[in-house]
Amino acid sequence: MGKYKKHTAFIIGLAISLVLLGVMLIGIFYTPYEPNKMNGSEKFMAPGIRHFMGTDNFGRDIFSRVLEGLKTTFLVAVSVTVIGSFFGMLLGAITGYFGGLLDEVLMRVNDALAAFPSILLALVFISILESGTYNIILALGIIFIPSFARIVRGEFIGQKELDYVKSARLMGASHFRIMFVHILPNILPALCSAITVGFNNAVLAEAGMSYLGIGVQPPDASLGRMLSEAQGYLFSAPWYALCPGVIIILLILGFSLINEGMGEQHA
Amino acid sequence: MKQIGKKTGTLIITLLFISFASFFAFQVIPGDPALSVLGMDATEQQVAVFRKEMGLDKPLLVRYGNWVWNFAQGDFGRSYHYRTPVSGLLGDKLPVTLTLTLISFSFVLLISIPFGILMAKFAESRLGKAANVVNQVLMSVPSFFLGVLLVLVFGLLLKWFTPGKYISYTESITGFLLYLIAPAAAIAIPKSAMVIKFLRSSVLEQRKHNYVRTAYSKGSPENRVLFIHILKNASIPVITILGMMIADIMAGSIVVEQVFNIPGVGRLLVSSIGYRDYPVVQAIIVYIASTVVIVNFIVDMVYRLVDPRIREA
Amino acid sequence: MLEVRDLKVAFPKEEPGSKLVDWAVKGISFSMGRGEILAIIGESGSGKSMTALSIAGLLPPDAVSSGEILFNKKDLMALSKEGRRMVQGKDISMIFQEPMTSLNPVMKIGKQIEEVLVLHTGLSKAERKERVCKALLDAGLADPERLCQSYPHQLSGGMRQRVMIAMASVLKPQLMIADEPTTALDKRIQGQILRLLKQINTEKKMGILFISHNLEVVKDFCDRILVMYQGEIVESGTPEEIFQNPKEEYTKKLLASIPKGKQIVKKEILEKKPVLEVRNLNVYYTEKRKQKRQVIFNANFTIYEKEIVGLVGDSGGGKSSLSKAILGINKDIKGEICHFTEYPQMVFQDPYGSLNPVKRIGWILEEPLRIQGRLKKAERKEKVLHLLERVGLDRAYAGRRPGELSGGQRQRVCIALALILESRFIIADEPVSALDVTIQAQILELLKELKEEYKLSYLFISHDMAVINEMCDRILRLEDGKLYEEI
Repeated sequence: MGKYKKHTAFIIGLAISLVLLGVMLIGIFYTPYEPNKMNGSEKFMAPGIRHFMGTDNFGRDIFSRVLEGLKTTFLVAVSVTVIGSFFGMLLGAITGYFGGLLDEVLMRVNDALAAFPSILLALVFISILESGTYNIILALGIIFIPSFARIVRGEFIGQKELDYVKSARLMGASHFRIMFVHILPNILPALCSAITVGFNNAVLAEAGMSYLGIGVQPPDASLGRMLSEAQGYLFSAPWYALCPGVIIILLILGFSLINEGMGEQHA
Repeated sequence: MKQIGKKTGTLIITLLFISFASFFAFQVIPGDPALSVLGMDATEQQVAVFRKEMGLDKPLLVRYGNWVWNFAQGDFGRSYHYRTPVSGLLGDKLPVTLTLTLISFSFVLLISIPFGILMAKFAESRLGKAANVVNQVLMSVPSFFLGVLLVLVFGLLLKWFTPGKYISYTESITGFLLYLIAPAAAIAIPKSAMVIKFLRSSVLEQRKHNYVRTAYSKGSPENRVLFIHILKNASIPVITILGMMIADIMAGSIVVEQVFNIPGVGRLLVSSIGYRDYPVVQAIIVYIASTVVIVNFIVDMVYRLVDPRIREA
Repeated sequence: MLEVRDLKVAFPKEEPGSKLVDWAVKGISFSMGRGEILAIIGESGSGKSMTALSIAGLLPPDAVSSGEILFNKKDLMALSKEGRRMVQGKDISMIFQEPMTSLNPVMKIGKQIEEVLVLHTGLSKAERKERVCKALLDAGLADPERLCQSYPHQLSGGMRQRVMIAMASVLKPQLMIADEPTTALDKRIQGQILRLLKQINTEKKMGILFISHNLEVVKDFCDRILVMYQGEIVESGTPEEIFQNPKEEYTKKLLASIPKGKQIVKKEILEKKPVLEVRNLNVYYTEKRKQKRQVIFNANFTIYEKEIVGLVGDSGGGKSSLSKAILGINKDIKGEICHFTEYPQMVFQDPYGSLNPVKRIGWILEEPLRIQGRLKKAERKEKVLHLLERVGLDRAYAGRRPGELSGGQRQRVCIALALILESRFIIADEPVSALDVTIQAQILELLKELKEEYKLSYLFISHDMAVINEMCDRILRLEDGKLYEEI
């Protein structure tokens, strides 16, 4: 029974994520309206047939802008997760497998870095680098490396003590082969779970930074920025804030359900 | 005791590393702060005066040494933008953010511990399962969006508070605290959902352990097994999560202050980044990171109290 | 005192929605007199533990049970949860197989034992304390005052089991259920615990229901034996009856799988071709963040072709360190290790950890050949399949993952893996101790056959003297890091 429920969590999560991904992909090629086109005669229209999610203070179509924002969010979150997980995996594998001085030093640095909330580190980066989509990707990508490295390191430390690794060494397998052919497939569940968590954190960080006005800059649309613009019209046009907000929630919910379902399958 | 000494050593090294990183991060920035503050058309004399006033004419390591020394004494340098001591700028904002963080953290504890236990106890029932689904959704709400929702529902529709009308603690302590309830809830609810999930699964996991069977074999009633045997064991991993959460709550307050128009450290940080006012940014970063590290140190000590296995290892 | 009538225990099948059940106990009946020691013997999955848990009232929540358990003429199955609790710990107590995990890790020992008294008596704090100390003393533990203030992790496995026994006997219940109480312990400690139980049985007139997979352990210990197989009692009788005159086929098989302990006849090896020579070997071991310590002192020995050398000694006595040093996994050594064969291999104790869980058996067995760049792809595959058959597994197993195999089958794969590079020297580290007795005998037989066929030599590590005597030509004993040869 428990297993069954976890399975449904996974499927629902996957469905939400795939629908959002599909909507985002369609949004690359087609949006109902030009996302930045203002229309003075159609300000603050409530959601309806003409405008699925209504319009904003400049009469721009919110749905089209949400599609644009979703594209940015996916671009940032996917790139950040790829950068963070790839380098984190390498670093974690090497430090976890070999241990020693390098491991000690990197872990100390890692501990210290963990003291900085990731959004704070990103803000510092941005204050040095100037804001903009690619700088955000770079900043968050680098900031996310340690958390991936920590998880992969822990897994490698656990796995390397197991007898199958000893047995591989007795056969004469090289360290490289043991790390990436023998051990790596065994830690994929943990890595996948870390990737879904990382993706969500990247979505949150990007939206938060853009909300503060330090993230993605116009003309690039961003869900977080829309939210901050909408706040002034919360009473007169609540849909303006609700639509991008709900999309962020769905995006995060989808991945956390996937993570939930995956986690229990391997436990 | 030896362990505590060692941990304190690590704490000091980490704090030094934080100060070092925070200081040097701002030394590698391309461009002269003098120019970015005074504008590109500043005269050489103006620049020289500014550099002397800010102490930028001394060698790097000397500046770092001075900075750390001054910092330890509560002198955080002078703001480029406001041309006033940073400590003065921070002085009236620190208590605001600190209070917000403390209220948020107490909310997390107050919400997550009873709900986590209840949801573990009734994990198999229909209600428990439904609560778990709601919990999963709450976990996915970004705190700033939850803040916006709270403003909409409790501020604009129910009119329980006036959004944006911040009441300073100098005016009225109760008004100040009451105003902080909504932002603290915005920060605390998603975090509590996370702690609830951990506590629930930790209790469920502990239930499978052999010592629980032993406790039942002695004839212990279910609640006694849960509260006397399982809970202490189950809280061990949760304490770690709570420690790590401090950083998240601090980060949450940076953003949520913006939502509720609270003049705290977060808003100062955001505006200072806009002005490239590095001494202020530096001071805030060091403040936040040090708080996180020190709280984690305390959490580590609590951990030792709870888990006898670590105490001696 | 205790009478079990037509006890049935079942579990719902794994698949969701299925109404079918897996039967763990299929309607057994037996009775037990006051002060009697009754042993239930069976392999894992025979239903013996479920029987014990039913009587103790500790079945897992998803288990379904029926029948009657009459304890002093009162049916325990008919009691409410509350009524059951009054019996638990007071009249019926239980000790478990895993002394390492059966105690609450964050609660002091004293408090854990005292809890029984808090729950079932109205004694004052001082009286409770006195009773706890008395129980600890009776369980053979010195300095009870200090022990009360300790946490479980500060005690050894044997001491924890004594604490469990103290806890289970503090109220002098009429029945103590002991579920494999000695299985996880060293041989030497096993004997002590059995003697302690026997002593408590006679002194306190406590009946003991002793669950075990090992016939030999209970031989001199119990008054009567029940043999269980696949949820049913197949035979019962006194130890003499069972050992001298077993009636059922299964009991005979169980008895046959007890290693005989043949007398070791020192063979004169005519052509002494050494496969391994160890000279003045010192091995060091550095535990995490601790000081380096020496675990092997000046060891000397030689192993010859087609010879099985046993290595015995207490756990933690350096057996693993020695084998790791021989195989070159531990490089922190001084002295000489000279191999006369290529690729010395190892068969590990835990067949669950020694095969990579995500790979298929065929892949795992082919890997050494791939690494060494031997043979062409098709030849490699053929060799793997051939070897699989040789160790008694069907070719189809090449496509399966380790998780789909039983412990015995996995150990066969491990043996094949040790042979695939045509190694001539294999270290077998407790290769059968994690397996059921009947499977043990099969694996030992296979190892002997392969030795003759491939001219192998083994260094055979075990704590089970019966297995060692059965298998080995010579025995090396490791005590406090020093190696002695037994004659």
